[in-house]
Amino acid sequence: MTAAVRTRGLRKEFAMGWFRGRVLAVEALEMEVKPGEVFGLLGPNGSGKSTAMKMILGLLRPTSGEAEVCGYRAGTMAARRQIGFLPENPYFPNFLSGAELIRYYGKLSGMGGASLERRIRELLDLVRLGGEAGHRRLRTYSKGMLQRAGLAGALVGDPEILMLDEPTAGVDPAGSREIRDLILELKQRGKTVLFSSHLLEQVEDVADRVIILHRGQKLREGRLDELLTRKNEWEIKVEGLPENDRKEMRAWIEKRGARVVGEGAPRERLEDYFLRSLPEEKRR
Amino acid sequence: MRGCFRRILAVAQNTFLEAVRQKVFAVLLIFALVLLGGASYFAEFSFQEQFKFLKDLSYAAISLTGLLVGLLGAAQLIPGEIERRTILTALCRPLRRWEFIAGKFLGLAGLLAGMVGIMALTVWGLLGWKGLQLMGGEGADSAAIWSEAMDPRLIQAGLLIGVKLVVVAAIAVFFSTVATSTTFVIAMTLMVYLIGHLQSVAREQWLETGEAAHGVVRLFLAAVSFLVPDFNLYNLIDEIVAGNMVAWHSTLGVVGYSVVYVIILLAASAVVFEGRDI
Repeated sequence: MTAAVRTRGLRKEFAMGWFRGRVLAVEALEMEVKPGEVFGLLGPNGSGKSTAMKMILGLLRPTSGEAEVCGYRAGTMAARRQIGFLPENPYFPNFLSGAELIRYYGKLSGMGGASLERRIRELLDLVRLGGEAGHRRLRTYSKGMLQRAGLAGALVGDPEILMLDEPTAGVDPAGSREIRDLILELKQRGKTVLFSSHLLEQVEDVADRVIILHRGQKLREGRLDELLTRKNEWEIKVEGLPENDRKEMRAWIEKRGARVVGEGAPRERLEDYFLRSLPEEKRR
Repeated sequence: MRGCFRRILAVAQNTFLEAVRQKVFAVLLIFALVLLGGASYFAEFSFQEQFKFLKDLSYAAISLTGLLVGLLGAAQLIPGEIERRTILTALCRPLRRWEFIAGKFLGLAGLLAGMVGIMALTVWGLLGWKGLQLMGGEGADSAAIWSEAMDPRLIQAGLLIGVKLVVVAAIAVFFSTVATSTTFVIAMTLMVYLIGHLQSVAREQWLETGEAAHGVVRLFLAAVSFLVPDFNLYNLIDEIVAGNMVAWHSTLGVVGYSVVYVIILLAASAVVFEGRDI
């Protein structure tokens, strides 16, 4: 099966100007994203995530190595037809309305006429910008609304692959949850999602596989459950066991040469608690 | 091919819409007010002098306003999009870079054409109004006044101003594909604009000095002669405004010359922009 995205020995150096040398942004990146997969590019700021994405999009030319999108060389028209892109910050022409933004991107993707207008309505409903909101200028949108408008713009050409650069950065927990839900919905529809993030706890909920980058180099790669599972530990969650029985259970464990490494009442994640505290209409 | 035109048109429409929504056309209102103010002076002169003054003032104002809008607009086109990073969401689509350049340029050319057109119509309206005022005077030669007011040669002048501005915009587009700074683009374009007014002097020097001149000097003169458009050609505008006859074939010759320059500049812009990291 052709990989959705494949890179081989991808490397990017930036010239810093006359007599100031060069800086290495990405070094020998090998990566393969399978169709239908949600793939995370993780790493701190300056680790090369956005540079790698830009090379896959054809916005930056690799110093060496190559990238392919659905079997097409990155940057070619055929490759770009397969991709929808949401940039890190809402870099959109803010003199347009939400609907006009999607229409503009639709036309750039070669669409037009009644089918484009139908698609605009569908997408505005999908990202919950239908009605009056879709006809307001982008400069009046909140960050979350801008990200959703951008997501609709990325989806307008019905691309096979969606590339999201830090999609939840600067978005509040409710907006962040919405974007995650949308990613999962797109996965359900068979789309491939490649996204970058430095917010690791958010990646955990959606990514099938991840790559961890640091200073342009790949540190780790794999399925999240493989990377995060501590194979020599076992965890049981118990409800309604009195203290005496717990003591007895600890003794039973120690008698068999094992050691209790952690114990306690499970804690809810702050994000879940925060969302649960909001009134129903604010959660969505 | 249809998809290509559709994409270019989408970029052009967006560029035009941006300018309109950023109130560029408010400049036109100021222009009209300045003209109306200017038109009420010098009533003590003869009608020929009044018309000449009005035409001089109007066409100088059209040129200057158009030059400012064209220069600032073109300098903002690509560096502005790179600065705001809106270019990322456009160029990641199935849009060729030359299509983006062509769309941006056409949007700006459309804006300039619209502005020059509206301003020229305002001038015509004003000349007509002035003509009617003067015709109402005692012993006025109505036929002479009306022919002076509704001079069809002003269409030629408007056309020449339009193409001159489009050439300036194309120069700015070229510099905007190599630079990231708006100031650099404006400075370089103005420099070429000024050299363009001296281009004929450089060409004559190059042709006349022959082998006598130093190699580097000859090379510089040749480069200026070939690379920089001759902006003196557009001096036909002054001839027209002064009331002299200018043949249509001369005007169309200058239009053709401008079109060739614009095509060369856009092709060079596309080549430079193709290899640029965004």
